[in-house]
Amino acid sequence: MNTELAPDGRAKFAVDVQHLTVSYHARAALLDVSVGIEHDQLVGVIGPNGAGKSTFIKAILGFVKPDLGTVRINGRNVQKVKGQVAYVPQRGSVDWDFPITVQEVALMGRYQKIPWYQTPGRRDREAALEALEMVRMADFADRQIGELSGGQQQRVFLARALSQGSDILLLDEPFAGVDAATERAILDVLGRAKEAGKTLVVVHHDLATAAEYFDKLILIKQRMYAYGTPEMVLQEELLSKVYEGRLRIFADLKTGGASAGKVVETAKEESDA
Amino acid sequence: MLDAFLGPLQETYFQKALIGGSIVAVVAGVVGCLVVLRRMAFLGDALSHAMIAGVAGGYLVMKMFFGLEAHAPGMLLGSLLAAIATVALISFVSRVSRIKEDTTIGIMYTGIFALGVVAVSIFRHYIHIDLMHFIMGDILGVADSDLWVSAFTAAIVLTVIILFFRHFQIATFDPVMAASIGLPVLLLDYLLTVCVSLVVVSAVSMVGVILVVGLLITPAATAYLLSDRLDRMMVLAGIFGITSVVGGLYLCVWLDSAGGGAVMLFCTLQFLVVLAIAPKYGLLARWLRLKRLVPQQVVEDVLTTILRHGQTTPLPVIRNYVESAQGDLRKALRRMVQDGLIVEEGAGYQLSEDGRKEADKVLRAHRLWEAYLERIGTPKDELHTTAHQLEHIGGTADYLDERLGGTDKDPHGRTIPEPR
Repeated sequence: MNTELAPDGRAKFAVDVQHLTVSYHARAALLDVSVGIEHDQLVGVIGPNGAGKSTFIKAILGFVKPDLGTVRINGRNVQKVKGQVAYVPQRGSVDWDFPITVQEVALMGRYQKIPWYQTPGRRDREAALEALEMVRMADFADRQIGELSGGQQQRVFLARALSQGSDILLLDEPFAGVDAATERAILDVLGRAKEAGKTLVVVHHDLATAAEYFDKLILIKQRMYAYGTPEMVLQEELLSKVYEGRLRIFADLKTGGASAGKVVETAKEESDA
Repeated sequence: MLDAFLGPLQETYFQKALIGGSIVAVVAGVVGCLVVLRRMAFLGDALSHAMIAGVAGGYLVMKMFFGLEAHAPGMLLGSLLAAIATVALISFVSRVSRIKEDTTIGIMYTGIFALGVVAVSIFRHYIHIDLMHFIMGDILGVADSDLWVSAFTAAIVLTVIILFFRHFQIATFDPVMAASIGLPVLLLDYLLTVCVSLVVVSAVSMVGVILVVGLLITPAATAYLLSDRLDRMMVLAGIFGITSVVGGLYLCVWLDSAGGGAVMLFCTLQFLVVLAIAPKYGLLARWLRLKRLVPQQVVEDVLTTILRHGQTTPLPVIRNYVESAQGDLRKALRRMVQDGLIVEEGAGYQLSEDGRKEADKVLRAHRLWEAYLERIGTPKDELHTTAHQLEHIGGTADYLDERLGGTDKDPHGRTIPEPR
């Protein structure tokens, strides 16, 4: 395979997207997106509604067939090698009344490795428990998932992703609909996952916290607008282009301080729903 | 008395009904769990109705080409094909048109059911299908061939579910993750649909078209109220399926009623009982939980009453100031002692360290509200009562303090406690 290797023998990029173009009904959801995400990074994906963020997720999971371009995970084509990326769903898309315990959810991360004719063994259970310990949820192993608080629920799904054993995690809006304390707790777990050598790609909505939370940011709207450190990406010029004037206050976004700006929605209809 | 139970067991028709019904009910309960969790109940109903066209078609084909009368496997295959055709039509129409899926299901299954009814009546000289039997079922008239067919389908379906339990679990719970680890989610959906069709087809001869969906979902829903794990839910649903058949059959013999109806009636009663008394998700448990809950307002009122009284406060004083039913107040006090907010001392109650903190917080909110209400022109005689209601809203004190610009006295000249 003609991928460059990093000095430590890994592929140079954890996620390597080249010229990714995806269209639905002759409309481009993503246009010529190229980005190389390095290993051990906490990366935020930002962009307005309808910017193609969910298509970007699907592409990284290998669900869409691109019109042009490739997505390589650790140097291997995502269409050919499944399950390299561990996925953490959005809170709203989970049925919290489902009859399943915390431990069973964590165990799901191991399913890919268990042959279909076998039941999960002791090794799998231990791996699941280990992952739960890492997110400090081992004490809740026998609880039904609906009994947990929002932050705890998010941590259980993180444990599932960790027990999957892949070094790339993809999180869909993990901070949506949780309170500030929970947001802290989740961020803490993300940080520790990063320290353990994981690359985390996080779809994120809140520009005000983006600079504070992530090492790098990807700004997309159909096409790639910027990839780099928050200081590089959160430029007034760039943001006003992407958010088309719906963003009023830019000051302090870069520092992510307490007085960070707010996204102000104007009456202007979204042209790109 | 004993004879009422043992008597029917001597009869062959009862034994056959018991065995056949139990086989079908177990597998219906197990598959029903996935149907319930995937919200496919309406589809199960549709499949049962659609199969009449398949049965008629199967009967007709086997008779015309092979000269076989009422060939059970032929009719089974026919109904399976009809079920699959229905599902295919439903997904096709809801994909290509603006009509939503539930409407599409309604259109397609009534249409195919109608086709079956018309076909049965047109060819009534060739094929002998009793429509009433089809609609109402006849669990007491189970034929040996029916028994074999249901045993066979039950074996297949149970094997599939047990073998691919994990796959069905993950594809139901989180299809996106299932797809991301390379599971064929769509194929699993089809496999489950085929399983549901098989179950429905083998159950229709027992309880009839109309009731079969109940056999599919009611035991599963009953089990859902009792378990937090899918495997246990499936086992319980199977058990509830069997108890429905056993209970229903006795009911039918004792009351001399229709078999299928008695089975579903018993099944529904069983559900209602569990709904009432299930330890965690039952109505009784819910009611008890609510009853045990002490309103925050009562707690806070007790705290401020003791704080204002300034010393060990006897029960009558508390009762005088706190609006609450007598039993509720005692319960609230007991709970507050347990939570370490107050301590019982001789003839009354005293605030603990934590209780004092809480009481200060509420008092601060109360006095801040009074000051603020006065500022915005609330009549003097309403200050206290209005503030008394507003003080229980959380997180307002700092805002009020800011708006008031750091007043330390309330309208009555009393000091507003500092936050701590």
